[in-house]
Amino acid sequence: MVLTHRNIDGIDIVALAGRLVMADVPQVRQRLLAVVEQGHGKLILDLAEVGFMDSSGLSVLVSVFKAARLKNGDVVLLHLNPTVRSLVELTRLHQVFSIFDDETMALARLR
Amino acid sequence: MAMTRTISLAIDSRPECIELLSHALRGLCGLTALPAADIAKVELAMVEAVNNAVEHAYRGEPGHSVVVELLLAPDRLGLAVRDRGEPMDPRKLTGVGEIAKPDRADPKSWHPRGRGLAIIKSCMDSVEYQVRDGVNVLTMSRTLDREGPGPG
Repeated sequence: MVLTHRNIDGIDIVALAGRLVMADVPQVRQRLLAVVEQGHGKLILDLAEVGFMDSSGLSVLVSVFKAARLKNGDVVLLHLNPTVRSLVELTRLHQVFSIFDDETMALARLR
Repeated sequence: MAMTRTISLAIDSRPECIELLSHALRGLCGLTALPAADIAKVELAMVEAVNNAVEHAYRGEPGHSVVVELLLAPDRLGLAVRDRGEPMDPRKLTGVGEIAKPDRADPKSWHPRGRGLAIIKSCMDSVEYQVRDGVNVLTMSRTLDREGPGPG
């Protein structure tokens, strides 16, 4: 899995590309937690290029969210494809995460 | 004449090998008329079942075999995930209900881990678990539209 990181006005935006599944969990969790630790805890996860995710991958998102909340921050999800959105809704985590289809709106949410 | 065809795939109990099964399953699903959303659900169910074999039955140890048997019949797509690791308590499957609504204010209610069986049951039409002669088998099935196979 490939992660690309940028920052806009103190808000971290990390785009993930590939499959977010069990094999990727340790590396992705480590990198995302580092972003939260080094930043303000305001994070947009752009999942436009994540073609498939399992519950292991979803657990990474939850771990990162918990870490951000400890810094009084937040994590929002951006650009979920139907497959990933289906998993998020099936596990009812759409009632925990804020989900956006537009980066501008996601940024506005975290400002 | 319509017939039932099967293919059996074996991987080592390493997480990085599970992707191979996904690609094989997607290829097989291309022989059906299943829409993309349903194919994704079947893949998710298979991946969650294999994850359980790797993570729980074999306790994360590599070097063990996980076998996935895929069955394509005119009216259904079947999967059986087999391992020789520690068996699951069958009551875990029968006791699985709908995933509870998480409380945004309570992080303990968010955790998606341990949801594998619930996800599998949500994605497939039937799910069964058996232990026989040291082999643990999780069998799943998805009904196919009787209009027949899609583009090959």
